[in-house]
Parts: sequence; C-alpha cells; structure tokens
Amino acid sequence: MRRRFLFGSLRWIALLSILILFLFPLFWIISSSLKARGEFFTRPPIWIPSHAEWSNYPDSLGRGTAKGLTDSFTIAFSSMLVSLLLGTPAAYAIARFQVGKKNLAFWILSIRMFPPIATILPLFVIFRFAGLVDSYAGLVLSYTVFNLPFAIWMLKGFIEDLPREIEEAAKVDGASRFQIFRNIVVPLVAPGLVVVALFTFIFAWNDFAYAVIFSGSRVTPLPVVIAQFAGGHEILWGQISAAAIIAIVPALVLATFLQKYLTRGLTMGAIK
Amino acid sequence: MMVGPAVAVLFLVTIAPLVFSLGVSFTNLQFSSPQPIRWVGIDNYFTLVTKDTRFQSALVRTLLFVLAGVATQTVIGYFIASLLSRVRRNRALLLTPILIPAVISPVVAGWQGRMIFNASYGPLNAILAQFGIQGPAWLASPQTSLVSVFLTDTWQWTPFLALVILAAIESQPQELIEAARLDGAHGWSMFRRITLPLILPVTGIGILLRGVDLFKTFDLVYILTQGGPGNSSETLTFFTYLVGFKFFNPSYASAMSFIQLLVITVAAKTFLGVMQKREGF
Repeated sequence: MRRRFLFGSLRWIALLSILILFLFPLFWIISSSLKARGEFFTRPPIWIPSHAEWSNYPDSLGRGTAKGLTDSFTIAFSSMLVSLLLGTPAAYAIARFQVGKKNLAFWILSIRMFPPIATILPLFVIFRFAGLVDSYAGLVLSYTVFNLPFAIWMLKGFIEDLPREIEEAAKVDGASRFQIFRNIVVPLVAPGLVVVALFTFIFAWNDFAYAVIFSGSRVTPLPVVIAQFAGGHEILWGQISAAAIIAIVPALVLATFLQKYLTRGLTMGAIK
Repeated sequence: MMVGPAVAVLFLVTIAPLVFSLGVSFTNLQFSSPQPIRWVGIDNYFTLVTKDTRFQSALVRTLLFVLAGVATQTVIGYFIASLLSRVRRNRALLLTPILIPAVISPVVAGWQGRMIFNASYGPLNAILAQFGIQGPAWLASPQTSLVSVFLTDTWQWTPFLALVILAAIESQPQELIEAARLDGAHGWSMFRRITLPLILPVTGIGILLRGVDLFKTFDLVYILTQGGPGNSSETLTFFTYLVGFKFFNPSYASAMSFIQLLVITVAAKTFLGVMQKREGF
C-alpha cells in the first residue's frame, strides 16, 4: 500500500514537472506582454514584472494587431464556411455512394502530404494573373488546399458512423437524395459539423505559410503582423508578446471545446 | 453531382497548379531576367542533383532534422503517455493544458522561441547559468541554430504524439497484458514482445504525420532564424521559398518542390510498407 502511494506520488511529481516544462514558454509570453520597455534587457531576466504594463495591449492593437485580428477572423470564418458547404455533400457522396471509388479518397488524403510550397509557388503565379494576391478571396481559396480535404475526410468518417437504416427508410418513403441529405444526414451529423467547423477555423487562423505569401498591404492576417513586427528594425518585445497572446486566445478557447475530438482531428480521423 | 463543386475547387488549387508547376520546372522561367522563356528539359533537375551543394546540404539537413525530431518526440511522447495511462482520476486536468502547444500558431511558437533562446537576456541561458553552465548563443550560432528550431518543434508537437501513443496504450487488450504478466513477462521483455507490437500500428500513424510535417518545416525557420546564420538552419522548404520568392527563380524552385514531393512520397510509402509487413496496419 505504501509502495503504491510512493509510486503514485512520484508519477504526479513527474507529470507536474512535464506540465511546467510545456507551459513555461506560454508563461514567458504572458509575462513579457506585461513588461515595460526597460525590463527586457536585464541580467538575470525579470520573471514577473513588478508592475503590469497593460498598455502593451492597446498599443499593440493600435499598431496593426487590431487589423490583423479582424482580417484573420474574416478569413478563418469564410474558410470554415467554404469547407463545410463544399465538404459536407462531397463527404456524404463518398461515404454513402462510394463516388470516385478509392482513387478520389486517396487523392484527397494525399494532399495532406504536399509541402505547401509546392502549391504556393504556382498558385502565386496564377493568383497574380487573376488579381487574387493580397485579397480575402485569394487566401480563403488557398486555404481550401488543406481545409477542404480535412473537412471531407473527417465528415466522411462521421457520416460512416451513422446508422444507414434511417436513410433507407426515408428512401422507401419516397424522399429524394437531396431531401435525405438535407433533412436527415445534416441534422444527424451536426456534432461532426461543429467539430470540423472549429478545426478548419483554427487551421486557417494559425496558418502562416500561405498567409505570408498571399497577403500584402491590404490584407494582413495576425500571424503575418506578428512576423513583420518580429522582423522589424526596432523590436517591440512587449507589444509583440501582447499580439501573440491575442492570437493564442481564440484557438485556445475553441480547442477546449474540442478536447474529446482533439486526437481525431489532429490525426485526420485516423485515431478516434 | 454532390462531389462536383468540391472536386472542382480541389482540382483548381492542387492538380492544376502542380501540372503548371511541373511544366515550369522544365523551362528557364525567371522573374528577374528578361530572357525569353525556353524549354530546358531536365536541366534544372540535373543541376540540383549533381551540382547544387546548397540544395544537397539542405536535403541532408532536413532529413536529419526529421529523424531527430521523430525519434526524440516519440521517445518522450511514450514516456509521457505511459505516465498518463496510469492516471485514472482528474486526467483531463493534465490533458487540456499539455495540449495547448498543439493548437497555437507556429508564429507564436517561433516568437516565444526568439525570447527564450535569446543568448543575453533569455530565460534559458539564465537557468543554465544557475547550474554554472555558459549557454550557447542558440539562434545566433551555426552550431545551435537548427537545434533551437528542433527544440521549438519538439516543445510544440511532443504532447500531440503523447496523446496518440496514449490512445494506442489504452486500446491494448487487457487480457493479453495480464496473460503475459502471468507468464512472467516484465520490464524490457514485456515492452519489447507485448507492448511495442500492440501500440505500433496506431503510433505509426502519429509518426508518419509528424515525419511529413517535420519535412515541411517552414514557419519556425522563417521566424526563428531565416535559415541562418549562414545556411546552418536552412530546411528544404525554406530554401525553396528563398529561390522562388527572393531570388525570383520559379522554374528552379518548381524543380526543387518536385524533388521534395518525390522524397516525401517515397519515404511515406516505404514507411507504410514496413509497417504493413510487420502486421495488418
């Protein structure tokens, strides 16, 4: 009994140390976002500022973070809508009618393997020609590269989990394919739609590779704003850290709702 | 009918650009020079494979980066998962915060790396100094720049692998474990003969995803080091980005991206083949 207690305590000590190790960097950004200018250049560094410099937040918002926030939100929300609108019917067709057999499904999955740069490069040439560089539409369209396959693949899994009998009964009653889809499948798969919506939003929200190429002076998503900040001549440590915290919060809130589905989403449904 | 719009959009953003890019990779198209576009056959590929030492070292560097990342993250991930698997009560209390790194933007991870690895004012070297260790210049030294990128990636993605391995551990049939224990298996022999084969299929999926993502590492390099100092932390995708968007040489960059597609496909197929051979993966 005592031995078990000892091992139990050791385990908790180990786990808590791991937790501290993984949370420390986040603590450091929070602490930095509240430091005054001079407090970044001391040795040893200041761990907790004696006085919280809240003004870093409004100051950061005024220097482009606010615009980044609304741009990121607009793009992520649109990308989420597009993924669901195009992805749900496609997932239904693939799950129930085996459209495209295995090839279509395989293609959709293999897009996950592409290095973004392989598609970014030609897309940039095409977008420049079509006037889509530095536009919301261009970024939303480019995010379908990863969000649409994700939505189709995940929703295919969710739809396959549904019992077939209800759809078959409706078919016997004379409902059309579209009616079955709209009145039966969509309501039943609603939890899956929410999960996919949140994930596609987070993926678009966090993206940097596409954003840095396809954005410009008019459209500035938050990660690009932070990167520009950090690459500037004069580095505003406190303001950038404030922007970083602002960028984390929405993803964090959505992820807590996803807790149960986090593994499933991050492995594209391979592990349930 | 229902797949039509989705397939059309995906075709437009994946297949069409790739075909276009494949065509470009056989030309000498450059944005910086006014020379007429000419068909050059496999010249770009030939130069990359035989002459371009910067490309070749980026390839080797990236492969080492992938191997180191996958190995470290899997081992630490397994350690965390095996600890977590024995926690019955209040597990969510640990799981929720430990997964935060996996859902934050790589730009934020990169920014915190910039602060933590700061040689003079960062907390890492301050902690090392407490133990009497003179910390390296991290991002500013060619010996440690890639290590810093690796450490940041490991911070961000080890919890994800831990979660995957945890799912694998939890799905082991308990009867088998009990039976093996009764037969006297324990410690290393238990792990080697019973646990490992049982968790391998699911863990393999996690390793594959991680390997692919490590190979694609771009954001972290962009924020942390810009590939420097020198080319010491230049990954393949970052070098491709430089050639395409800073040196304005899209034909050469296209050829580079196709070599990457080839490497990634061959590596993934080989990995899946090995896994499949071991057992029904």
